[in-house]
Amino acid sequence: MNRRAGMLRFSALFAVILLALFAAELTPPVQAAVVMPWTEALVRLSAWLITLYDPHVAAAGKILQSTTNGFAVSVEAGCNGVEAAIILIAAMLAFPAPPRARVVGILAGLVAVQVLNVARVVSLFYIGQWSAVAFEWAHLYAWQALIMLDVLIVWLVWMRSLPAPQRA
Amino acid sequence: MRQASLGAFVLRTFLWLPVCFGAWYLASHYISAAAAAVASLFVHGFAPGIVSAIEHPGVELAFVTTIEVLGAPGRAAFLVPEVNPLAYTYGLALFAALMLATRSRWWQLLAGASLLMLFAGWGIAFDFLAHVGIKLGPAIAHEAGIVGWRRELIALGYQMGVLVLPGLAPIALWAVFNRAFIARATRRSRSGGLLDGHGGEERHGALDRR
Repeated sequence: MNRRAGMLRFSALFAVILLALFAAELTPPVQAAVVMPWTEALVRLSAWLITLYDPHVAAAGKILQSTTNGFAVSVEAGCNGVEAAIILIAAMLAFPAPPRARVVGILAGLVAVQVLNVARVVSLFYIGQWSAVAFEWAHLYAWQALIMLDVLIVWLVWMRSLPAPQRA
Repeated sequence: MRQASLGAFVLRTFLWLPVCFGAWYLASHYISAAAAAVASLFVHGFAPGIVSAIEHPGVELAFVTTIEVLGAPGRAAFLVPEVNPLAYTYGLALFAALMLATRSRWWQLLAGASLLMLFAGWGIAFDFLAHVGIKLGPAIAHEAGIVGWRRELIALGYQMGVLVLPGLAPIALWAVFNRAFIARATRRSRSGGLLDGHGGEERHGALDRR
């Protein structure tokens, strides 16, 4: 397969898988069965991590709240790491690789994305109590860029771990 | 083909990122104006005639519509939804940091930034359209002429524009411009042609693993 055909195949596959997963994510059944439970689990995990050094936190559904000053963050779409995970999965499925490498890559990649996402939620919880301006910056711009950078790095590291391609 | 160091690339990206975010914020008024111009094209294409002007009094863009709403007695009032353009243009900072980290050519940086304006315009336009067509209720949507399948299309365009494109577009454009660097950094220079490419990344001596 020549360079242009390879790029086109990857790009087309990536776009199709991305759109399919994204459209599926938006449907009510997937929201109810996957996205909402996942988001609530993410909030509970974040609350549990915070309570290791700060007991003044409570989790309810997708809301993480300070019991000291009432400040709360609500983990919404775009902040639960699901879209980043979808992009990573689409990129790994579209790239030519052995099935086992894909499965391992997706599982490890999801862990890498979600570990950083927990760091995002916890950090935003404290940044928001400190400064509304800093919260907006961190929430809307900086963390969004960092999560996508994480996806890119994971994808590059995964490609590097694949068996060396054979010359045709 | 020499290998390139992923670690050096990541380090350089993290060093460039705060610089690029600073530059992006300093230039944000002009960047937002450019994105607003693109957004205006999308809005006029999707719902012609509902926006008479896009004003830029502060950070936010104010879409002055032709949709009448209840005002003070005896006075006409028009709906003016606001959109934060920075939420759709921050990808410029990420893109610039990635391009500078791989020492891409200036024309590639400028071309990529120009293309990113299309995605930013898309996000801003569909954010506005989601206000008018969905969030403000069926009466406003009906007055704007946004009904049926157009509402569904707006919902999908909005979700893509908010959740996926702002972060994905800069990464994808960087990857397109830096295929050869990716091939060297991931040791896939013999990937059957998929990643073998040419571009500014051929000049990345500092990133090469000696």
